[in-house]
Amino acid sequence: MIKKSGIGIAALTLSLLAGVMPARADFWSDAGAKYKGVVLRGVTESTPPSNYIKDVLAPEFEKKTGIKVQIETTSWDQMYDKAIKDMEAKTGIYDMVYIEQDIIYAYLARNFLVDISKSLKDDPSLKAPEFDETHFTTFANYFKNASGDLFGIPMEAFIKVYLYRTDLFSDPKIKEAFKKETGKELAPAKTHQEYTQIADFFTKYGKDSGMELWGTTAQAHTGHPASWYEFFESIAPTYGLYNWGIDAKNNYAASVANGGQMNSDKAKAAMKYWLHLRDIAPPESAASTWTEVGTTFAAGRVAQGLVYGENAAWIASDAEKSKVVGKVGVALPPTEPDVLKEVEAGKGYLGYYDGGAFGLPVTSKNKQAALLFLQFIGEDSVQPDWAVAAPRITNTATYDDPKVVAMDKKLNGYYTMLKDQGKLFAGAPPFPFHAQVREATAPIFYKILLGEVGPDEGLDQMAAAAEAELKNLGYRK
Amino acid sequence: MRSNTVGWLMLAPTIAILGIFGIIPFIYVLYVSFHQWNPFGASPDMIYNGANNFRRLVFDAEFLTSIAFTMKFAFFAVISEVALGYLLAQLFMKEFPGRGFFRTIHTLPLIVAPIVVGSVWRLMTTPSIGIIPYLLKSWFGYDLNIGRDATAAFALTVIMDIWHWTPLVTLTLLAALLALPKEPFEQAQIDGANRRQIFWHVTLPMIRPAILATVFIRLMDALRTVDEVWMLTSGGPGAATRYVGLHIWKIVFPKTDYGYGAAISVIVLYLTLVMCWLLYVALVARRERKRTF
Repeated sequence: MIKKSGIGIAALTLSLLAGVMPARADFWSDAGAKYKGVVLRGVTESTPPSNYIKDVLAPEFEKKTGIKVQIETTSWDQMYDKAIKDMEAKTGIYDMVYIEQDIIYAYLARNFLVDISKSLKDDPSLKAPEFDETHFTTFANYFKNASGDLFGIPMEAFIKVYLYRTDLFSDPKIKEAFKKETGKELAPAKTHQEYTQIADFFTKYGKDSGMELWGTTAQAHTGHPASWYEFFESIAPTYGLYNWGIDAKNNYAASVANGGQMNSDKAKAAMKYWLHLRDIAPPESAASTWTEVGTTFAAGRVAQGLVYGENAAWIASDAEKSKVVGKVGVALPPTEPDVLKEVEAGKGYLGYYDGGAFGLPVTSKNKQAALLFLQFIGEDSVQPDWAVAAPRITNTATYDDPKVVAMDKKLNGYYTMLKDQGKLFAGAPPFPFHAQVREATAPIFYKILLGEVGPDEGLDQMAAAAEAELKNLGYRK
Repeated sequence: MRSNTVGWLMLAPTIAILGIFGIIPFIYVLYVSFHQWNPFGASPDMIYNGANNFRRLVFDAEFLTSIAFTMKFAFFAVISEVALGYLLAQLFMKEFPGRGFFRTIHTLPLIVAPIVVGSVWRLMTTPSIGIIPYLLKSWFGYDLNIGRDATAAFALTVIMDIWHWTPLVTLTLLAALLALPKEPFEQAQIDGANRRQIFWHVTLPMIRPAILATVFIRLMDALRTVDEVWMLTSGGPGAATRYVGLHIWKIVFPKTDYGYGAAISVIVLYLTLVMCWLLYVALVARRERKRTF
């Protein structure tokens, strides 16, 4: 009897306590209640990670908070066009914009973005308990200002890796043929010389065997910036040419004559190496951007190539889209002999660490609600499924999640490489004038690709054009 | 007086819309064209620089090249569309089984958005993957590579434009042909005129206004083409298909050189007006002057 009444008193006490305590069942529903009915609008590039936000995270957030999120996914060019116009004209259409790593410096220079760290400090009621800026990988540093404040929530991050076909590289017949022709064992290349040798071999092998097979990819579109980026962000660094050959500390010099490197011997050697690869790559290479390079590899048309990580993952794992699932190996890009040591010593980088973040424009009319959404997509708990669905890792803890570990095996160690050797790669140089210098020099670059001007002469002209544009923009005095 | 007021009231919405969406933006573009303004420059403010932008474009080889290519593109595209459109209109005047079906089918390209047209043509022409390079290689042994062959890329942009816009010309000319009275044709036949004479001396003069309107519309469209070509070639290879609309887009958006881009836009508008005026003088005014004499 005493026992029964004790239980009754305890139950009564608990229910009374529950009645007087503030309802704090879930942060999201409480925080979202203030902004119920708000419609957040975001614009981003149509990539697998962005589509995941649109299809999975936005509906999930809406369910938790009652805040509706509309994500517009569009082409790379259109995304910039819309976001910049909106922020420039201060129309406030978008509450979230995609910030590709290379545009962040321009956006910060123009004060387009809200300081996320400061906003959350200023209004602690908006701070989600599970959100922690320190949980991001070092890639988040690209979206911080000099004081270490965060201006974008990292949502995709990957490196441009060297992919090769494990089935071809381990085929005894091919190995024997390669040895006979070169006197070497067939193995993923570590140097440019080895890479060229393998590429030449496979292109010839494909031709002789009547196969649709070539030795290398080449992102060599003759009218699209993708080719310009492949050269300056993936090829030139492996020759020890960094930051496009522009020396920001030396009055933004680009030409050797003024202290820059854009037309240096390293740049010219890199260009000739790459032009040769373009010549022995599949015919579509002259019309290939980053997307088509991935498609070419997935179609089994090449033996090796430099491929963006976002594509590397589906090439290696998605049997619906790729013919080479289970046949893809990953390695570091080949370099000139001493460059890797230089990079390991922290004096340079090996290739492009690409990715992007979601930022909050200062022109947004729903900043508080948008801050909630940005924290939501930055939480550790949503990362593993996202990493599996759309390969990208932005939070340190994601690497150890069992689902991600399993995926890493499928990708032949791509995530391990990202974790352990990601430090050898770097984002775009911290210039606020990316598109401007690119567009000023790209017409000459395309002429080099078409053979209308020689590589040496063309790079000289590009360096001069870059300096002229930098002067016009007011950076070079 | 009263009818005038009613007339102005009726026109007011149109004038307001034209003012807001046409005249005010044009005045703003004109204003910007006299400034140096790059929001990503060291100084992002608008700085008045007189006629420097206009002076710069006179010596800008890229701009002049894009104008030359655009003229070439417009010439081939518009001439072909008018000729082909007229032939199709004549065909659709005749009775044949399935005429209604073919009339409907042939207008389908018109309802496709230019960006989609560009994407589809890109898929069809991508080397090694597209059906067009495949067929050309199988039938004629010709390697089509729009990433490397400037002439082929140019020709493909023209063909794509013809595919997309010929139906518009056909519909306009078909409407004009259907509206023609029978009597002049019967009279010409009675007078013993042959088909060629009837075409030159009866049909053509009677449908000239329709042809002229169509040519004006198509010429203006061809001079500002962007989306289809952007999707197909991105302006390449090199600058072979970097038509002036695309050139302006690249200057204004990726390069964010708003002042210079505005100056080019103003000059292109002026060139378009001059070309239309010259065409009008050549095709209509001179003939009317002859008639008065």
